[in-house]
Order: sequence, then C-alpha cells, then structure tokens
Amino acid sequence: MSEPTGPVLLRFDHASLAYGRARVVEDVHGSVHGGEAVALIGPNGAGKSTLLRAVLGLVDVVSGRIEVLGSTPARARRDVAYVPQVDTLDAQFPVSVGQVVLMGRYRDVGWLRRPGVRDRALADDALEAVGLAERKDDRFGTLSGGQRQRVLLARAIAQQPRLLLLDEPFNGVDAVSQQALLAALRRLQDDGAAVVVSTHDLALAHLACDEVCLLNKHQVAFGPTEATLTPELLRAAYGGQALELAVDSVIVAR
Amino acid sequence: MRYLLEPFGSPFMQRALAEALLLGAVAAVVSVFVVLRRLSFVADVLTHTVFPGVVIGFVVAGTSGIVWGASVFAVLSTVLITVLAGRSRVTEDASMAIVLTGFFAVGVVLVSRQTSFTSDLTAFLFGRILTVDRQQLVVTAVIGAAVLLLLGLLGKELLFRAFDPAGAEARGYRVLALDLVLNLVVALVVVAAVRAVGTVLVIALLVVPGAAGRLLSDRLAGITLIAVGTALLAGWLGLVASWQASVNHGLRLASGATVVLVLVLLYGVAAAIATARKVRA
Amino acid sequence: MSLLQDGYARRALIEALLVGALCGLVGVHVVLRRLSFFTMAMTHATFPGVVLAALVGVDLLLGSGLFGVLVVLGVSWLTTRPRSDSAAAVGVVLSAGFALGVALLSAQAGFTRDLSAYLVGSIVTVQAGDLVKTALVLAAVALTLALVGKELVFGAFDRGGMVAAGYPAGRLDLLLLLVVELTVVTSVPAVGTIQAVALIVAPAAAARLWSDRIGPTTALAVLLGMASGVVGLAVSQAYQVAAGAAIVLAACGFFVLSVVVAPVVRGRPVPLGVG
Repeated sequence: MSEPTGPVLLRFDHASLAYGRARVVEDVHGSVHGGEAVALIGPNGAGKSTLLRAVLGLVDVVSGRIEVLGSTPARARRDVAYVPQVDTLDAQFPVSVGQVVLMGRYRDVGWLRRPGVRDRALADDALEAVGLAERKDDRFGTLSGGQRQRVLLARAIAQQPRLLLLDEPFNGVDAVSQQALLAALRRLQDDGAAVVVSTHDLALAHLACDEVCLLNKHQVAFGPTEATLTPELLRAAYGGQALELAVDSVIVAR
Repeated sequence: MRYLLEPFGSPFMQRALAEALLLGAVAAVVSVFVVLRRLSFVADVLTHTVFPGVVIGFVVAGTSGIVWGASVFAVLSTVLITVLAGRSRVTEDASMAIVLTGFFAVGVVLVSRQTSFTSDLTAFLFGRILTVDRQQLVVTAVIGAAVLLLLGLLGKELLFRAFDPAGAEARGYRVLALDLVLNLVVALVVVAAVRAVGTVLVIALLVVPGAAGRLLSDRLAGITLIAVGTALLAGWLGLVASWQASVNHGLRLASGATVVLVLVLLYGVAAAIATARKVRA
Repeated sequence: MSLLQDGYARRALIEALLVGALCGLVGVHVVLRRLSFFTMAMTHATFPGVVLAALVGVDLLLGSGLFGVLVVLGVSWLTTRPRSDSAAAVGVVLSAGFALGVALLSAQAGFTRDLSAYLVGSIVTVQAGDLVKTALVLAAVALTLALVGKELVFGAFDRGGMVAAGYPAGRLDLLLLLVVELTVVTSVPAVGTIQAVALIVAPAAAARLWSDRIGPTTALAVLLGMASGVVGLAVSQAYQVAAGAAIVLAACGFFVLSVVVAPVVRGRPVPLGVG
C-alpha cells in the first residue's frame, strides 16, 4: 500500500487494558496515520472490542498510554466515530434510515437544540456516500443486514470524524454492501481520516488495510499487512486454531 | 352526542374531565418511551415505591402533603432503581420486584398503624378523580408542563439512547444519566396521578397508550399521536361511562377503573386493526 | 410465644409456613426465568376472578384459579405474537385485570373493605378449610416440580437446546406459568397481592446468592420462605402492624442480609442481580 501520508492520529504506547482488576489486553504498541486503515485481527475474546472501547476512553488503561489525536481518548472523543455491530440493534425500533444517520449529528448539534439545515445536508451526503440515499424514509429494520451496517457507517460519516473505529462491520454482510462499505471507507481515508477496523476476514485485510494489529489478549504483531499476515504470526495469534492450507496462505478458525 | 356531553354540566365533573385529559395526554407521551425502552416493569415499580411517600405525606400534612411525600419517594426510588438496573447486568428483574414489594410493604405498615385504615388505603391506591379540586389541577398542569419540557429538550438524546445505547455511550453520552432522567419523568407522572387515579391504576396510563400506538404505527410521530389520542378518548369516554352507569342504571363504577377499562378496550381495537392489516397484506 | 396460644394465631402460623414453603419452591423457577414482572401481573390480573367468584358464590380459590388460567393463556398468546413487546403486553393485562376487578367490586357495597383485604391479605382470619386447600396446593406443586423440575431448569438455561432435543418446551413453559398462577391465587388471600410477589421472589433470590446449585437453592428458598412467615407474624403481633406486610419485610430483610453477607462468607463478589 502507499506510504503513510498523514500525521499520527492514534498512538498506542505499550498500553495495557483492564476491567476493574482483571487485565484483558497487554502491551499494545503502534501508531496509525491519517489516510491509513488498520485491521485489528484476532480470535474471539482476544480483546479487539475492548481495544476499540479503550480508544473511546471507556476502558481503563492501566499501564502505558493511548494517545488519540494528540490528546487523551476522553478529550478527543468528539472527533472519533464508532460503528457498532449491526445485530446489537433492535430491528423493530420505529426509526427511519434518515433518522439514524441524523443521530450522528446530535453531539455537534448539542443539548437542547434541534438539527439544522447544515446537519441535514451532512446526513444526506453521508447516506449518499454509502449508496443508500433512496432508502432514507424507510424504517431502519426493513433493510438487510449489510444495508443496515452501511447506514451505521453513514451515521459515523455524518459526524465528520478524523478517526473511525469499526467493530466487525463485515460479518455476514453481502458482497454489494461490502463493496459499498469499502468504497466509503476509502473516501474517508482520502480525506485524511484514519480507520481502525476489527475483522476476521484476512482477504479483506489484504485488500483494504495498510497495517494489521494481531491481537490475542496481548499484541502479537503490529505492522504492514503483507509482512504481518504470515503463517507463523497468524498461528501465534490464533494459538493453534489456524490451519495451514498451502505454503503461503492460511485459514483461521474463529 | 348529548349522551357524551351530558355528564359534564357540573363543575366537579368538568374538573374531573380536565384532570383526566391533562394527565392522560402527558402520561401517553411518556408511555411511548416506556414502551420503546421496555420500561413497563420499572414504571410498575415506581408506582408502588411512591406509596409510602403518599402515606407519610398524608400523615404529616393531610391531603395537600400527599404530592410532597410522593415526590420525595419518587426521587429516592428513581435513583435506587436506576443504580440497581445499571449495576446488575444479568437480571434486575428480581431486585426490582423486591424493591417494589419492600417499599409497598412499608407503606402498608404505615397505613395499618393509623386509624381509618381501609378507606385511606383505597383512596391512596385508586385515587378519587371525582374529588379533584382546582389546586390539584394546577399541580397536574405544572408537573405535566415540566415533563413535556424535559422530553422536548432531551428527546433526541433519549431517542438515540433508546435505539443504540452502545453507540450513545461511544459518542460520549452518559447513559446512566439519561436513564435517570427518563425514570424521573415516569416518577413525576406517577406523582401527578396519585390523587386522581391512584398509584395502582396509573401504570395503565403509562403503558397502554404507547402500546396501542406501537401496534398501529412504525414512526415515532405516529405512535405518539395515536397514544395521546387514545388516552384522551379513554379519559372522556371512561368518565361518561361511569357517570351514565351511576345516574341512569344505578350502577356505581369506580371512575378511575372505568377509564382504564375503556383504555384497554381501545387497545383491543388497535390490536384488531393491526391484525386485520397483517391479514390483508 | 403467644403466637401459639389461640386457635387463629396457630392457624395463621401454619398458613404462613405452608405459603412460605410453596412460594419458595416456585420462586426458584420464577427467579431463574425472570418471571418477576409476570408474577406481579398475575397477582393483579387474577383479582377479577376473586370478585366474580364471590359474586357467583363459588369457592374463591377455585374461581380465581380458573380465571387465572384464562389470564395465563391470554398472556402466553399475546407474547407469542410477532412484533409484540412482552413487557408491554404484560402491562396491559395487569392494568386490565385489576381495573376490571376494581370496577366489578365497586359495583358492590363494601367496596373498600373487600379491596383492602385483597391487597393486604388476611392471614389472621384463615380457616381450617383454607389450611387444607393450601396444603393440597403445596403437595400438588411440590409433586409437579419434583417430576419436571430438572427439565424446567434445562429449558430456562437453554431453550434452543431443549427444543432440539425433542422436548415440548412450549408446553413446559406454559405448565410453569400455570404453577405460578396457582401459587399466586393460593398465596394472595393470605398475604395480599403485592406481598405474594415478595414471598415468591425474595427468598429464592436470597437463596440464589448462597448457592449455585438448584437443590440447595430450592431448599434454602423454602426455608427462608417459611422463616419469613414466622418472623413476619411475630413482628405483626408484637407491633400491631399488618401481618402480610410484616412477612414481606421479613423476606426482603433476608434478601438484603444475603446481599451483604453472602459475598463475604463465600469469598467472592456476587453481582447485585440474582439468577
């Protein structure tokens, strides 16, 4: 992939995370530049979601540091967008696609005020960016899983973030939606934003990400995609759940 | 038409109607959130935890003390419930049931230590909408305005939290604080309803209108409109029914209970319409 | 103690023990399946049954029991419909039932007196015949739970697995709801509506804090249920307060005590939510 173009937007400095007294992730170290996409890869329970939540300031960093946009996670949160997994949401909820995307503007609109013309324009643009403008007035739950994931990305885009965190957005998503998601992410990167996406999909990591962080409760590796997604390192991360199929490609079990 | 307007010639019936409509409308708006957030049990708990406050208020300051006592306990129990629900991830079900019954038992104990036990108990629990005075109307109006103001100001954040709590938290909203506000709003409705409908029946106003709206509409605006409409209709028709039954048929039907019954009937109509729609589609 | 001196106090004590045991037995499953709100709704929705039974002249337990069956079927049907929020449905049923009961009752004379008795319970006026009925219900419920107890637990934890294994999960669920309903209509005349919920939930919730195994939990729930009855009656006599409420407060007291003491004794933190 191309050389890192932008400034460092996210830096892990030997960060270890804990819930209460239990350490859950150890020694994450690396940095993410503007314009880059980093894949967070590891088996279930490896701490990928925890790491993302730590970048949002929702998990305690017990040693080392996480620096977001040159500041602490809590203070930088305004410019960080988070895209959750779509199946955590109630499909019956009476909201329209447009309303969901507009939610991305709420924080900037502020308490006690209503979204204005500019907010609605930003929301419309974001929906356009994921290719779902024509579904704006449909109830959120009437869309397919992949389409709903795109709407959640649009919500994040409407926020105009400088750092974007996605929690397994490609799980069970159809090919069309996957393409749309990748295209929208690419546009964001071209505008200088950094993307961190947790995924199980190695092919996708190869395709779309400049760097990879291999995680299994501790950092196994953090480096350029080609150099990091090697059979040895993957086996180290997945702890024997990896199956080597051919000389230079590996299948991993979840 | 005359049949429907006949009961409201006298001032006390007019006040009862005003109270029913005011309370119904406000409770209906809140009930939309109660249904969307699945807070029916929380609402039920709050209607019971307010009871000891009602008794203490009455003992200390007579009928005018009821609202104050209820308010204090409303705030106390709202905080307790919100904290409990926030802390226990597995199930707050049992803890809330215990809080509900514990508080209610305290209320019963307090009542049983007084004289005129039985009549006061039922007045506290079922209200006496027909003896609502102008002061009570003012109290209802003030609380109603406060509730609608809170919901108007915080509506979009409450909606966001209701739809996607993880996303809201990620965005920096304090979910616990938002939940506290909504629970407080529910508690305020209970306080407003205490003298008119009583604590036990207010749960109907806090659940049924929103449930009926949800059956018939997929959009927040639609749900709210239907909920308010249902509550207003039920208030009016319920009072008419109980008055006509009493005057023309010699049948004494508790007014509060009649309003609730009409409300449930309207829910049944909504359910029938919803089913018919699905069959046709 | 003067508790055992006169006939009605003795009967009250026996009823408290029987009801406490019954509620403890059933409570374990209620807590496991998070049926507390449903139980609450049951206490309210079976009320019209009591009133109707009194109107018609039928035995109250029989009348309310049969009416309760209708309510259970109604709630079950409501919650199996798609796009229905079960909590809202339960709320609707609760409201409807209680309002119906109040309306029916208000059409009679003696409105407030009967209503209060229903709400607060009247364990001290229990007759020998009532004791027999309670004992029979206890025996029937105990037998039922002994027969299908482990299947019920299986269904509570892994309904999907149970269906896959070929069990009639739906019918077992319904059976439990009916058992809860029967327990409610039996306990309400003794301790009152809302109090019945406390006696069902609190001892079992407390027991759950002490043990992770069904057997010991059930035994402890039964014990705590009975203990609540005894303590409650004693306090009620000593301080001249409503018996039903005193029993509830005793049950809640055991729960709070368990929340505080159990983690210390067991040596590890326990989440505040139980089961």
